[in-house]
Amino acid sequence: MIGDARRIVRDTVLTAEICIIGGGAAGITLALALRDCGLRVLLLESGGLQEHAPTQALYEGEVADELLHSPTDKYRQRRFGGSTTIWGGRCVPFDPIDFDARPWMPHSGWPISYETVARWYPAANELVEAGTFDYDARTARSGGMRPMIDGFAPAEFDVDRIERFSCPTDFAGRYRHRLERSGSVRVLLHANVTKLQAERDGARISHAQVQTLDGGRFLVEADQFVVATGGLETPRLLLASNDVHAAGIGNGNDLLGRFYMCHIAGTLGTLRLNDTKVWHGYDRAEDGTYCRRRMALTEDAQHAHALGNLVFRLHHPRIPDPAHRTGALSAIYLAKNLISYEYGKRLAGEGPTSAGMWLRHVGNLVTDPFGAAGFLAHWVRHRTLAARKFPSVIIRPRANLFSLDFHGEQAPLPDSRVRLGTATDALGMPRIHVDWRYSPLDVRTVSTGFALLRQEFAESGLGTLSLDPHEADIEAMVRRDGAYGGHHIGTARMGDSPATGVVDGNGKVFGVNNLFLAGSAVFPTSSQANPTLTIVATALRLADHLRNRAAVPAEVTTRPPALVESDA
Amino acid sequence: MPDIAQPSPSRVLVVGATGFIGSRLTAALARDPAWHPIAAARRASRQSDVEVVTCDATDPAAMTRALAGVEYAVNCIAGSDATMVAATRTLCDAARRSGLRRLVHLSSMAVYGAATGLVTESAPAVAPVSGYGVAKQETERLVQEYGQDGGQAAILRPGCVYGPGSEQWTGRIARLLRAGRLGDLGADGDGICNLTYVDDLVTAIRACLTQDEAVGETFNVAMADPPDWNGYLVRFARALGATPVHRLSGRQLRLESKLAAPALKLAAIGTRVARLPVRMPDAITPSLAALMRQDIRLDVSKAAQRLGLGETSLDWGIASSVRWVDRMRGDSDPHAETPRETRAQ
Repeated sequence: MIGDARRIVRDTVLTAEICIIGGGAAGITLALALRDCGLRVLLLESGGLQEHAPTQALYEGEVADELLHSPTDKYRQRRFGGSTTIWGGRCVPFDPIDFDARPWMPHSGWPISYETVARWYPAANELVEAGTFDYDARTARSGGMRPMIDGFAPAEFDVDRIERFSCPTDFAGRYRHRLERSGSVRVLLHANVTKLQAERDGARISHAQVQTLDGGRFLVEADQFVVATGGLETPRLLLASNDVHAAGIGNGNDLLGRFYMCHIAGTLGTLRLNDTKVWHGYDRAEDGTYCRRRMALTEDAQHAHALGNLVFRLHHPRIPDPAHRTGALSAIYLAKNLISYEYGKRLAGEGPTSAGMWLRHVGNLVTDPFGAAGFLAHWVRHRTLAARKFPSVIIRPRANLFSLDFHGEQAPLPDSRVRLGTATDALGMPRIHVDWRYSPLDVRTVSTGFALLRQEFAESGLGTLSLDPHEADIEAMVRRDGAYGGHHIGTARMGDSPATGVVDGNGKVFGVNNLFLAGSAVFPTSSQANPTLTIVATALRLADHLRNRAAVPAEVTTRPPALVESDA
Repeated sequence: MPDIAQPSPSRVLVVGATGFIGSRLTAALARDPAWHPIAAARRASRQSDVEVVTCDATDPAAMTRALAGVEYAVNCIAGSDATMVAATRTLCDAARRSGLRRLVHLSSMAVYGAATGLVTESAPAVAPVSGYGVAKQETERLVQEYGQDGGQAAILRPGCVYGPGSEQWTGRIARLLRAGRLGDLGADGDGICNLTYVDDLVTAIRACLTQDEAVGETFNVAMADPPDWNGYLVRFARALGATPVHRLSGRQLRLESKLAAPALKLAAIGTRVARLPVRMPDAITPSLAALMRQDIRLDVSKAAQRLGLGETSLDWGIASSVRWVDRMRGDSDPHAETPRETRAQ
């Protein structure tokens, strides 16, 4: 059932076996997986069913360098469904190498194996509605997907790796009715958790303090608490709960909020292909999912060159530069003010649009009107009106001229961090201060990866890849998009021991017996992959762990069995 | 009870023998030396190897004649709600006056109406109940009265009966999938799809004919582990080659059920009045749309325990459905398929 926290009588104490804080991808997955297993689950969600400006404003914070990191209320949504209400839907699993301790990658290595997470990928893939869990271009569709560049078989890149796309599925819209009709799960909307109260010895959370924006206040007692509020809010809540644990819950070793990662990503270079067949668009698997090939730096190459994980995608030329002479791209550029912040950011170009630039874009539109009209018609039919949306702008540039999208792993750095700021929000909670940093290794991953790919093209004779006109300053190119799009990772990392992690391999906070963290906050490294699929997979794994834990009487709880709902 | 060693097979009247389930049942019984099926139908059957008695099931005199010398009857009558009720009343009345040993009556899960959750045979109906469901409730009442008056009767409540010959849950669905009008429905397809493979239903009917525990009882008959509607639609679409599977928005489905379906119904009436030889497109009716959202799961444990049902796997059922659909595209006779042996898995 789904209720409204604003109707809860002040100072009520609600109880549950499991209290989930946050109703985004991780929280909703947990609630779905914990339905009807005999446990009473209470999910507390700050937002409602729609976007609500005063609630969203609770996300506002400070950013150390606004050129490197977007404002903290962007790329995330404080409402039921969380950021799945705005996500792009790209699904990619992590790779086995991401879980390894790599000598060249500082602070790398997960305390759990790839296999323990991979076991949950098929079910996660189903939940995000990205079809069958098959990320190999040769088998994702019968007969195989068409080649990206005919005859291109690089040694250091795997060109058969693909990404699949969710609808993109808004978890609240898609799964709300399943939670509504569940007898064992209760969702409370407009419920802001402002503090986790630890018991005097610090070893257990006794209750969560909940506030509503209209002045309501109540407590939730639970056997187990799960914080699933994303990579920025998770450290915020734990750091702000600092009366028993002076440095914040789980921060005994000063790891909480540190190692903050996004991805190193952007668009780079000019690829001029000779007379070869090129397909840089989407294929559809039989199950209807849009699939697309990518060029992934192999594990061997990462070892050999001591680089982070990295992928490239074939991309149309950079939109702000009118030199592409493509009407559809110029149309997008001219309409950039109509596009949401999250998706329009990369259209900003290097500076303000000059009159000359503007005229050249208009010129492209005039000389290529059918290209623009065709694109618009396709977009309206297959994206705007479609339930499974065409995932991104795919425009065949005039001439075989492309650029490369890159999406690379960011090394975990202790100094890249989220802290509590000085200001407070409407509920009296300290706002966050984000100081995102990148490292020379991040730049080297992209620049060396790019050089390797350039060499592969040169050897293949299929085309030439150049960094022109930015040859001189690859770091500026890598940095241009800064902390990339809403992937907030690593701020409450998983580790073998309290010396290396905030949580253990099961997501339990070290030193606190009944507090678990879900979501990308606990990922020790960032991979080349977008995080959502792995957030969902690890949430399924956590749900399984919580179910098993509840099934072992000695470990569970002091609660009398009469309060446990029966399985029948 | 029929015995393999018995020289003369038991005579069983199949009422509604030219229909989908009736013809499948008749053919299965005809292949079993223990049974002598008699196909009762308004029109002569094409199944030449089976004894046919032409009778209007709502005509008491004709029904009395058809039941003469018959030990068993299975009521597979289809038709309008009024016809189903009238035929069942006629059959029960005639059976009271004949020497019938046992009646097996086919009802439907529609009797549960909008019920949700795990539904046992004793679960009460939940409003709204469709006109079809109300008619099936009425036929069940008539059959129960027949039982109270001393007759032996068993009632089966199948789910969505699919497989070769099923216009409703195989043929229609296949056409809608191929037209891209059904597919993955998202939240609108999260209801449970209580499928009953036609030969599993035939097995259940035969168990009711022979097993005394069935007398006086009502049984749900469906898959024990059913998929949701999206699961059925996507797997069926993939097996049909209706790919890439379409994802439909709630808006599309509402347009179909609220606008297109009433318009198609009017058009169908128009073509009938004008006697135009036009095949109308299938409609996604509001009741179909509601069923695909309905979180109802038939509890089939009673049938499994008392009748000892096997269950055809969904993969097998879909593969066999696709073979039938493919044959139908080049052949206008919906019952041309030679029934295979019922198989339990």
